Amino acid sequence: MNTTIKLTLAFLVSVLFFNTNVNAESYSGPDLSGQKVTISGPWLAPEDGYIREIAAIFEKATGATVEYGGSDSFEQQIVIDIKAGSPPDLAIFPQPGLAANMAAIGGLVPLNDDVKNEVLNNYAAGQSWVDLATYPDENGNDQFYAIFYKVNVKSLVWYSPDNFEDNGYEVPTTMEDLIALTEQMASEGNTPWCIGLGSGDATGWPATDWMEDIMLRTHSPSVYDKWVSNEMPFNDPKVLEAMDFFGFFALNDKYVNGGSKAVATTDFRDAPNGLFSSPAECMMHRQASFIPAFFPEGLEAGVDYDFFYFPAYATKDLGKPVLGGGTLFAATNDNQATMEFVKFLLHSEPNEHWMAKGGFLTPHKGADLSAYSSDTFRKLGEILTGATTFRFDGSDLMPGAIGAGSFWTGMVDYTNGKSAKDVADAIQASWDAIK
Amino acid sequence: MKKNIFSSIIAQLILLVFVILWIIPTFGLFVSSFRDKDLLAVSGWWTSLITTEVNEIHRTLNKDSQIQENDIYIIKENLFDKDKGKKITSFGITSKNINQFLIEEKATLKDGSELTVSENGDYVWKSQNPFKNKNGKRIFITASSPPNFTLENYKEVLFKEGVGQAFLNTLTVAIPSTIIPLIICSFFAYALSWMKFFGRDTLLAIIIASLVVPLQMSLIPLLSIYNDIGALFNVSSKSYPGVWMAHTGFGLATTTFLLRNFIKSLPHEMIEAARVDGATHYDIFTKIILPLSIPAFASIFILQFLWVWNDLLVGLVFLDQVPSEIIITAKLRELLGSRGENWEILTTGAFVSMTVPLAIFFLLQKYFIRGLVAGSVKG
Amino acid sequence: MTIFSLVLYVLAGILVCILYYYVSNFLLDFFTKKNSNYSLIRAFIFIAPAFIVLVIFILYPVFETVRLSFFDKFGREFVGINNYIWAVNDPEFRRCILNNLGWLLIVPTLSTIFGLVIAYLADRIWWGTIAKSIIFMPMAISFVGAGVIWKFIYDYRGPGDQQIGFLNAIVVSFGLDPQAWITIPIWNNLFLMAIMVWIQTGLAMVIFSAALREVPKEMLEAARIDGAGELKIFTSIIIPYLQQTILVIWTIITIVVLKIFDIIVAMTNGQWQTEVLANLMFDWMFRGGGDSGRGSVFAIVIMIAVIPVMILNIYRHKQEQKI
Repeated sequence: MNTTIKLTLAFLVSVLFFNTNVNAESYSGPDLSGQKVTISGPWLAPEDGYIREIAAIFEKATGATVEYGGSDSFEQQIVIDIKAGSPPDLAIFPQPGLAANMAAIGGLVPLNDDVKNEVLNNYAAGQSWVDLATYPDENGNDQFYAIFYKVNVKSLVWYSPDNFEDNGYEVPTTMEDLIALTEQMASEGNTPWCIGLGSGDATGWPATDWMEDIMLRTHSPSVYDKWVSNEMPFNDPKVLEAMDFFGFFALNDKYVNGGSKAVATTDFRDAPNGLFSSPAECMMHRQASFIPAFFPEGLEAGVDYDFFYFPAYATKDLGKPVLGGGTLFAATNDNQATMEFVKFLLHSEPNEHWMAKGGFLTPHKGADLSAYSSDTFRKLGEILTGATTFRFDGSDLMPGAIGAGSFWTGMVDYTNGKSAKDVADAIQASWDAIK
Repeated sequence: MKKNIFSSIIAQLILLVFVILWIIPTFGLFVSSFRDKDLLAVSGWWTSLITTEVNEIHRTLNKDSQIQENDIYIIKENLFDKDKGKKITSFGITSKNINQFLIEEKATLKDGSELTVSENGDYVWKSQNPFKNKNGKRIFITASSPPNFTLENYKEVLFKEGVGQAFLNTLTVAIPSTIIPLIICSFFAYALSWMKFFGRDTLLAIIIASLVVPLQMSLIPLLSIYNDIGALFNVSSKSYPGVWMAHTGFGLATTTFLLRNFIKSLPHEMIEAARVDGATHYDIFTKIILPLSIPAFASIFILQFLWVWNDLLVGLVFLDQVPSEIIITAKLRELLGSRGENWEILTTGAFVSMTVPLAIFFLLQKYFIRGLVAGSVKG
Repeated sequence: MTIFSLVLYVLAGILVCILYYYVSNFLLDFFTKKNSNYSLIRAFIFIAPAFIVLVIFILYPVFETVRLSFFDKFGREFVGINNYIWAVNDPEFRRCILNNLGWLLIVPTLSTIFGLVIAYLADRIWWGTIAKSIIFMPMAISFVGAGVIWKFIYDYRGPGDQQIGFLNAIVVSFGLDPQAWITIPIWNNLFLMAIMVWIQTGLAMVIFSAALREVPKEMLEAARIDGAGELKIFTSIIIPYLQQTILVIWTIITIVVLKIFDIIVAMTNGQWQTEVLANLMFDWMFRGGGDSGRGSVFAIVIMIAVIPVMILNIYRHKQEQKI
């Protein structure tokens, strides 16, 4: 009897022991007690809460203190702080272009090779992620400056499965089908699309995402790369063709909710509401993977809304290109705690923690896919790792004056009636102005 | 007399027109701050003052909630999770026809089950066979919604963590940033008006010219100086005294300009008489000018306080964004967040933030008293 | 920090300031026994703090700005007047000048007139304080708040959709089509100006309220007894008496308008041809890493634009010296 009890107890204890250790490996770091890392970034609620939770994991493991401050005028704040000499230790850039600008004035501290190797080993398509964070320093030498953490997929169309079912619509798998579906919806009295470009002083950026997705589907990736670097001028006929295709959707009063005039004045955060209104104001909304955070409260992923891949042409043989973006963490001060925090982010634990909260995607191969908060996000994660061509958001790669300036305002002008040629010429002129 | 009453009525009418025009936008904001946040971007604020018709989509419960009565399977519940007095007039079961059925009518679904909805939101869904729906079914309703107000937004903004502290921080920034410029600039303005010294006119010209220096140009050079000083004395470059001086600097030109105008327009004879009697400029300033300038001080206090209270940029640049230093404008912006549906925070936040400058305005009204000057001009 | 320590902190700051003046004047009197030959030193005491602040916070940045306008985008390479040449040829710049002119003509004028009229009328009516508070309220609302308020006025939804903008709701109730007000070229500037007038009238009113105190009561009463109508009193007594103040207020609002960009950023972000100089300056200064050379050029243009106003004020000042 005693032996049986002992064995049972031993069995129970070992089961418990193994269960608690079945989770992903926890991060353990060096002793950094007394050291402080200050981080500044564009994230406000609710993301600021999550990054603070992630920071708490680091604090507990190392004894360091981490402070995060967010601002929605981050892009101006960080320029001021870096130029005046009072930057935080780490800066979270929403655009590589801006980070490159800061590197060029000597505002960033290069990351050393073991960080680079961590990225190469742990991220799917690691080399691309390294390349995207390598910029010339103030002497013109290329250095590796930042790691990507929290990325998003952009080539998605959101819709209400119930509304599709009610109307007998099927999810299109090719661009030809999507065009036909748009025409069919309009002819049946439904409005196919909700498009909103408003975003305060960033108004116009959703249209740049449309442009980039279209460019990837109508021309080869090398054309895309040349367009982004301005090796191919912005007013090349290929670009005009893409713009006119955007116009096919956005300039047709019957195809877009509120008519073309409402496109630029509707805030991008309000635009998807049309999918969920009664009667429905639109059937589809093309937007990146972070948009569910702005849907009305109480909606369930997969039930009330779902997404499908913004399809590619069946006839063009360009595969399934995926457009994405992400935030980069770059160091502005060189101290041990900061560098350790950067390495910490390359572990699986901080990735899995945020994956469970939703609204977060990662190219980290070691992060357990089952940590994703829903099937929807798992699907997204799989798209990310399964793309035949992956390209980073073009306007985020262009220099700030274009990618956060004339490209945005040019697209707004386009929806207001300016011709594609005039818009493209103006954007090209702004490229020429900064050369 | 008759003329006076008539002109008084006209005066009142003109004023009334102005007041109404001015208050409509603010009134819109006020009403919006009490509205349900989901409605803010969907319907105009005036609709919440009257009963309106709304279309909504709700979902029934799923198969896990079915009960069995005799041979019939039933799912029933109320569609509304909070009673807001809505009265349903019609409903539908497909997005293509949202008003297909009136209340109490029986809707027959494709699978043969029956659904009916009552005016108060109760629904009953009956089926001969067990329900297999993993997700509830959508029901579209059209209802009349009475005026509905909520204090939720105010609760969200006022009691959110850190808001009270942000208020205190902003007061800590605003009070010295208003009083210190007033002190410094009043002495300066007096000197520019009534004291003789070399370069006075040039200095005045510089003041006027500096009215227009854009603040944004000054941010980076100034912050660099602060950083240098901070490094020299090993203190933080971002601190309260730093931001007081920054606001003093940015408000110097306007405050001096306005004060000089007031002080200069005071009767010359009074000051001359006092000089002849042997008073120093300091005595004149403290004993004569100061008391007479109280209306001017009051109005400039309000304006500078206002400007500092509503400022965002200077507070962002010259203070750390930590709970012990963050100002209310920055705090509210933090609350806005990257979430959508944040109009309710904007509207409520704007109102909450407005109360302090308005309170100051009311408090200082009694200093706009007439007659301090008029009485002393005689002779 | 506790409330108590914050209060102490605040009081300390203010006290330091007051003490400087008190102590320095006391010492001066003590050592010179109020001999008026030392009035120059006293003048120095009076102006010293303000002067130091002026040099550091205003003059130094101005010189920095002028210097930067001759350098490249990073502030490192000297480029001469290249930035200026570029600016003159930039079509956006030319449009800004036109827009700014429009703003400068309309907003200060309207705000000053309205402010004076309201201040005068409110003085004489029993509900004057309430009226003044209502006109003043827009000034108390931050620019962010004003942006939201007017979004609920100018908002546009498609025809057939429910309007959430007050103006469109009125237009629709008359059976007309709703308009996207802030996108209509030329007219949108006027709609934005309306916002500015709505806000700045409060400023004018507050200052006029104080200035009206100084109009001698006896003069007004005498005129009334003589039978002069209110309108005549307003035009013949009040306005001439307040000439200097009118100029001052008009100057200040003009300058506020020259510097303004918050409202425009919040409502249109300079799109649809509404951009003004301060927008351009801010954009070039801070967007995408910043080009301090070009941003500075626009800042300088803004400063140059105020020269006529400055000359006017100095001329007035010289005039009153002669009286």
